[in-house]
This record gives sequence, structure tokens and C-alpha cells, in this order.
Amino acid sequence: MNSVHVDWMVLLPEMILCGGGVLVLLLDAIAPKLRRAFTGISLIATLAAAWAVYYVMPGATATDAARTFAGLIETSPLTAAFSFVILLATALCLLASQGYLRREKILSGEYHALLLWCATGLLLMLRATELLTVFLALELLSLCLYSLAAYHRRIALGGEAAIKYFLMGAFVSAFVLYGIALVYGATGSTRFADIGQALAAQPSVPVLASLGFLMLVAGFGFKMSIVPFHAWSPDTYQGAPSPFVAFLSVAPKVASALVLYRVLAAALQGGAGVTAYKWQTVVAVLSVLSMVAGNLLALVQRDIKRMLAYSGVAHMGYLLLALVTLTRASLMPVLVYLLAYVLMNAGAFAVVSMLYSRPGEQHLISDLAGWGYRYPLLGGCLAVCMLSLGGIPPTAGFLGKYVVFLKAVEDGHVGLAITGVLASLLGVFYYLRVLYYLYMKPETRQPEGLLIDVWGRTAAVLAALLTLALGIWPTGLLQWLITATAAK
Amino acid sequence: MTGPMEITLTLLVFFPTIAAIPMFFLGRAQARAAKIYALVASLIELVFGVLYLAAHWGPDGFPLVHDLGPGAIPWISSYGIHYDLAIDGISMPLVILGIFLLPIVILGSWKGIEEHWPLFGASLLLLTTGVLGALLAYDLFLFYVFWEVMLVPMYLLIGIWGGERKIYAAVKFFLFTMAGSLLMLVAILWMAWKFKELNGSWSFAYTDLLRLDLPLHQQIWLFAAFALTFAIKVPMFPLHTWLPDAHVEAPTGGSVILAGILLKLGTYGFLRFAIPLFPHASEAARPLLLALSVIGILYGAMVAWVQTDMKKLVAYSSVAHLGFVMLGLLAIDSVAWQGSLLQMVNHGLSTGALFLLVGMLYDRRHTKKFEEFGGLAKVMPVFAFFLVFSSLASVGLPALNGFAGEFLILIGSFRTLGWPVVLATFGVVLAAIYLLKMIQLTIFGPITKDENRGLKDLSGRELAALIPLCIFMVWIGVAPDTFLKPSRKALDGVLSDYKQRIAEPNVVQATLRPAAAPSQVSSTATETGR
Repeated sequence: MNSVHVDWMVLLPEMILCGGGVLVLLLDAIAPKLRRAFTGISLIATLAAAWAVYYVMPGATATDAARTFAGLIETSPLTAAFSFVILLATALCLLASQGYLRREKILSGEYHALLLWCATGLLLMLRATELLTVFLALELLSLCLYSLAAYHRRIALGGEAAIKYFLMGAFVSAFVLYGIALVYGATGSTRFADIGQALAAQPSVPVLASLGFLMLVAGFGFKMSIVPFHAWSPDTYQGAPSPFVAFLSVAPKVASALVLYRVLAAALQGGAGVTAYKWQTVVAVLSVLSMVAGNLLALVQRDIKRMLAYSGVAHMGYLLLALVTLTRASLMPVLVYLLAYVLMNAGAFAVVSMLYSRPGEQHLISDLAGWGYRYPLLGGCLAVCMLSLGGIPPTAGFLGKYVVFLKAVEDGHVGLAITGVLASLLGVFYYLRVLYYLYMKPETRQPEGLLIDVWGRTAAVLAALLTLALGIWPTGLLQWLITATAAK
Repeated sequence: MTGPMEITLTLLVFFPTIAAIPMFFLGRAQARAAKIYALVASLIELVFGVLYLAAHWGPDGFPLVHDLGPGAIPWISSYGIHYDLAIDGISMPLVILGIFLLPIVILGSWKGIEEHWPLFGASLLLLTTGVLGALLAYDLFLFYVFWEVMLVPMYLLIGIWGGERKIYAAVKFFLFTMAGSLLMLVAILWMAWKFKELNGSWSFAYTDLLRLDLPLHQQIWLFAAFALTFAIKVPMFPLHTWLPDAHVEAPTGGSVILAGILLKLGTYGFLRFAIPLFPHASEAARPLLLALSVIGILYGAMVAWVQTDMKKLVAYSSVAHLGFVMLGLLAIDSVAWQGSLLQMVNHGLSTGALFLLVGMLYDRRHTKKFEEFGGLAKVMPVFAFFLVFSSLASVGLPALNGFAGEFLILIGSFRTLGWPVVLATFGVVLAAIYLLKMIQLTIFGPITKDENRGLKDLSGRELAALIPLCIFMVWIGVAPDTFLKPSRKALDGVLSDYKQRIAEPNVVQATLRPAAAPSQVSSTATETGR
């Protein structure tokens, strides 16, 4: 056992985010007139946290020494890279939110505070190297997410969304906790590294441990909305505030993907080849189910938020392709895919939150008819995000698909890669439908009650431009991500 | 050289994109400004193209010229992906055709396109970037990117400015093309991975992947993925159903671009990628593909015969004409290949002209049905002249371009294939029948409809679009060798390489051929070790 080494500075990003949340909450009580400035304050906190992540990040050669709190928290280029993606999602969500909150007359500090605390939970979750810390972070995250889903108090759909999410989420939390207990029972540790070692030392994998791992996979599969744990996402996305969905639909998936990787990596330590094969099958099945079911279900949606929810299921299916043969090299494709997904999905929801003025009703895709000409900028951004989601070059979405499919081919899963590309062909069909309404149909709806503010526009343009930039010239970023994910 | 600014392929490819950006800032009402701007941009691009041609034209054929040297710019270096554009005698004619058609298309759409002109012009320009990039890419990843970039502007062209069933046609076009190309993506990834396995480092470079020597059972799958993609684009017989829909619904400009250059990407893909990369598989698949080509020629011609809509007739004639090009390519014969390459250009010129003419008629009468016309020669003599002229070029009248291409294809393929070619010659006869039928029903005979009496003849703008096409039809027809010579060496290089690899026994295990690049490349480009 290492001696307990407490270096508080390592938690600087989390402290900044947490403190930012508290500050906004206090300001809301003391000086409610400043509410318009909360977006700016929260953005500054997010940027400061990003700087802090960079500041505490050790060089690429740093090893376990960078873990503090007796090794509970990891600080590495890998966690830094994931943290940046989370903070990017937070920033995009903050930018998209103000217009919505003002339009709905629910602008107050709690929203920003809860959002910043969500980000705190996420950063902790992806930096945790042992299961109980993961669970604590997960709970911090989840409680904030439930509250935010219900944030729009006046609409019934929002309450329904939050209750559904909460009930399922609470159930899943219990699952995760039970899984942790089982794994602990079988291996005597909650640390990923020790669990792996304990398993490797045993001749075969105990049933208890396998069961525990399965529960953990289910728990984080729920957060990532992988089939068959996806049922909550369409309902929740539909009822929750649209700009918040820009966060909900991406950020928790980013952190959960890393935790899922760590859980699987620990599980794979035991029982040699047989276990590897079994887990490969599990992940492959989940991946194919998500790709096929997600795309098929998205195909029949008329509500753009539900469509994006199911498409998100499919995207997590593509992501899992890189995890089928789990190696350290899986992390780069996963991270690239997540980054692309954050940009295009958050961008899409940012536009959606500006162009639909009745949050309590359906957000029909057909309502966008002809608006590509009425709102050329927002329409263009939405079109770029849709093409990127469909995986059309030169966009980030294509880059993500490319690295993921290449990983699958490299691992010898050509069949899975072909399933993936055929599933994404289904996807193209419904993403194109958005373009078709935007540009090829006459207008059916007069805009009323919309509030398109400069913050929201910034979010949409930023997301669309970054989507294109990442697709056109990813050279330097990819290089950095490869070194960041390769360093232990 | 060419003055203070050297023209590079990069400039040729991306100038249209850069030119397209200001179009997005033009308002909906500024259609006239958008038209003039797009025309000027396309003319500048044409000047660049001609200057580039002049700078690199060699006495014994057009050389292989790498932009910025082979593999000079790493693009996604961790995967060995390079930004590498190169032109040679095979891609040169098509590149020039693509650049040449752009101003013509803009002139041809001047009146037909009534709304959203800025977006229309921008789509055309972006499409040109995609087409030129796909023709010039010497890295398979780069090629795939450009290949997909072509899709969205064409989808918009059909879907926004198309006819009644435009959405159906646009989505069908998109999904058909994408279905093939996604499988090709997996094939490309697999090849890059195989190269890495054998060589130790990633590479998507065309010259590197050409070195892969794969056993037949692997080649077959890869070839199937590539061939499916290209066969959809060509389109070959059972996969052609998207084409008539796309052509009929697309606006005139879209049809001209589609027939003129987009379809050629399919045949170019066979010539550049599918056949040289997988010689043994091509050899195995030749009988099937040949049969499909001949069926395509006869089927396309016969279906064209029974059409009552001028545009549909021209669309099905494309299926037949591209069948000829495929026949020539599959003949694996030097004369036939030259004929095929020439015929790709020919089809772009004559079918482009026919689509323009149909579009001009449609602008005046808003119909394309034969029964609505008749006797147009009396009211529109100039129009009638051009319609007859283009049709005869398309039929293959000696001294016009179509004859040179089809004749070379037929004699070349007869040398290697024998009797099936006789079947294909019926296609020539059928072409004469359906095109003459169209001419007879529309411009000759009595004027049956009163609406036609007041039709105006072609305007100066319309003539400006047609005359350049006709000049080249005559020029190619009279002096085909001027146009064959630049490509001959490049084609022969690919062909001799192919024959050499076919002559060798197929390997049992995947191996990598020595880094000596194929003969056509080695003369001008040096392989960089990577």
C-alpha cells in the first residue's frame, strides 16, 4: 500500500467547477439582477477548469505517481483528454441554454449550478481508479441530471421525463452498487488494478465476479443508452429542456465509456482467452443490437428529439465496435468518436432548442420545412451536424466512423464493420430527412415566440465549424490523442 | 511557366470551394449577382485548367504529375494518409471535361433555375471540387473523401430544384451511391490494414496499395466492394434504376453534370482502381461484367426506344452508352481502352448537349413529351440544327466524336472478345433508331400544337453554351488522335502492368510486391520509402 498522498491541487478542476456552481447559486440569492451574467460566469468557470485540467496534467511519461488520494484519483493525459471533451460539452450546453431559459422565463442560478456540478461529477467519475469513487461521482452526476431534466417546472412532459429517468436511474444505481459488492466479494478490492491482479491470480474467473461485471456493464450501458438499456432516453430527451439535452445526450456517455473500458479491462485480466472471448461476444452483441435497433427505431421517428435519442443509441453501438477487442489502442478511436459525437449532437440540440418554441409539445421534423432559407445560419449548422451524424466526409462524424471501423477491421472483425456500415446507411436516410425538410419543402409554419440569441448562435456555429475543422484537418489533434491515450 | 502564380492541382480542386463561400452570403433576391459571379468563377477555373494543361503538356503524352511531390503532405500521419493529388493521361481528359462543363452548365441553368440561385451556384462549385478531387486523388482515403463529398451537392441539386418526384429521386440517388461506397470504405480499410500487416506501417497511398498481391479469394471480396460502388455509379445494368429517376427529376444543369461527369467517375474508378488493384479478381469477374455491359447496351437502347419523354430517352441512352465504355474497359485491350476513355469524354459532350437542348425546350414549354411537339424545325431552325447535330454525334456518325470512340471500342474488343461484340453493335443500330425517332417526332413533320408556333429560337446565351460543345464534337471526330495521344502511354502502362500480373500465378498468401512502382509511375515519380 502506498502512503496516503494528498495533493489537493490535483482536484483543482473539480474545485473550480464546484466553486463556480456555488458562486452562481449565491449570486442568484444575493443579486438576482445579475442572472443574465450567469452564462458568462459559468463559462469562465468551465474555461478555468479546462485550464486547470491542463495545469495539473503531468507529462506524457508520468506513471502511477500521478495518482493521489492513495491512488483513488488518476491524473494523466488520458483523463485530461476525456475531461476536455466533457468541458467542451458543458460549454456548448451553457451557450445554448441562456436563450431557452429567457424565452421560457425560467432563468435562474440553479440551472447553471446544477450543470457545473454535473460536470464536476463527470470529471471525478472518469478520473476515479476505484469503484466506490466511481459510484460517488455517478451519484453526484445523476442527482444533478435528474433535477435538470425536470427543470422546466411548468410543463408536464418535463416532470414525466425526469421521473422516468429517475426511477430507472435509481434502479440502475442499485445495480451498480450490487455489482461493486459482488466484484469486491470475489476479488477483495474495489480498485481496477487490484481487481485485475486478483483475477489474474485465480485459475478461473469466479461466477460472482462475472455477475458483478455484468451488472456494472449494464449500469454504464444505461448511462450510455446502449440497447437493451436505452428505453429511458427517447422519453427523457423529449421532455427535458432542449439545451440541457445537448449535455445529457453526450457528456455522461463520454465518462461512462471510459469507466466501461476500465471495467472491461479489469474483467479481461482473469481466466485467459476464454474470458476474453466471452466478453468480446457480449460487447459485440450489445454493439450490433444498438446499431441496428437504434437506427431502425430512429427511422420511424417524427419528433427530432426522439430521432436524435435513437440515433444516439446507434452511435454508441458504433463506439462499442472499438471496444470489442479491448486493448489500450481502443481508447483513441473511442475518444475521437466521442469528441465528434459531442460536437455534432450538441450542435444539433443547440439549434433545436432555438427553433422550437413550445417545449411541452412534439418537436416535429416537418415543422422545420423551408426554414433552411429563413434561418440560413442555423439551418446550415443543423445541416452540417446532420451530415456529420450520418458520417459524410469531410466532417468529424466521418472521422469518428473511420477510426472506429478501422479498429474493427484491424482486430479482424470485418463482419462487424460491414454490419456497422450497413446500419449507418439506414442512418443516412433519416438524417437526410432533416435536410430535406430544411431545404426542399415549402414553409408550413410561421416563426413565433422564438428567441435566437447570440449565445445560442455561437454554440451552433462553434459546433458546426469544429465539426468541419476536425473532419478536414484532424492531423495534430489525432497525433496528440494517440500519445495521450497511449501513455499509462 | 505560367506567370507569377503557378497553377497547381490544389488550386484547381479548391478554387471552386473558395469561390463558393461568398455565395452563401448572397441574399435570396440577388439571383442575378449570383449567376454572374458563378459564371465568372467557373470561367476563371477554366482558365486555370487550360493554363495547367499548357504548362504540363508533353510531346509524348501527358505525364504523371504529382502535386507537391508524391506524398509530400501528411494528412492524417498516424494512419499514413497523405494529401496527394496527381494527374496523368487517364485523369486529364476527365478533369478538363469537368472544368469545361461547369460554365456551360451555369449558362444552361440561367433561366431554368428560378429560386435560390446562390445555393445552386454554390452546389455546382462544391460538386466540381468533389469531382476533380476524386479524379486526382492518389491516396485511397482522400479518394473516398472526395467521392462522398460529391454526394451532398448533387442531392441538393436534385432535391431542391428538381421536378415533381424530386425527393424520391434525390434520396434514391443518395442511398444507392452510399450503399456501394460504404462497402468500398471497409474494403479500403482492410487493404490499408493488410499493408500494415505486411509492411509494418499504415499506408493508403495508391502506389503502395498497388503493391499488395493478394490471393484470389481475398481479391474477389475487395473487388466486389469496389466494383459494386463503381457499377452503381456507371450505372451498370441491374443497378441502373436510380439513374432515370435522377435524370428526369434533376434540373437541366444537374442532368448535364450528372451525365457529363459524375457517371464517368464510375468507369474511371474501374480503370484506375478496381481493375489494376485486383487483376485476378477482375479476370474472374470479367465474363459476368461483360454480360452485364452488353445487356446494358441493348436494354438501355430498347428502353430508350419506347420512351415518350425526351429526357427519359436521353437518360436511358446514357445507360447504353456507358455500357459501351464498360465493354471497352473489360476488353483489356489497348485500342479498346483508348476508345473507352475517349467515349467517356464524348458521352459527356453529346449527352450534355442533348440534356441542355431538352432543358431549353422545357424552359419554353414546361413539358418534355414528344406528343407536345412536332415541326419545331419551322419555328426554331437553329434549335433543330443543334438537336440533329448532337443526336448524330451521339449516334456515332463518322466525322463526329461518337464514331471515333465507339469504333475504337468495337474493334478493340473484337480483338479480344470475339462474338459478344457483335451483339453490342446492335446497340449502335438501336441508338440510331431511338434518336432519329426523337428528332422525327419533335422537330420534323407538321406543327400540331398551336402553343409551339410562337416559340422563340435559341438566344445568344444558349448558343454560347452549345457552340463550345459542338466545336469539340467536330474536333474529336475529325482529329481523334490529338485527343488519344496524351492518354495512350498512361493507359498502356496500366494495361501492361495488368497483363503482367495476370500472367503470374496467383499467390497463396498475401504478399507485398517490391517497391518498384508500376511503369507508368516510375517514369516521373520517385517512390518515397515509408
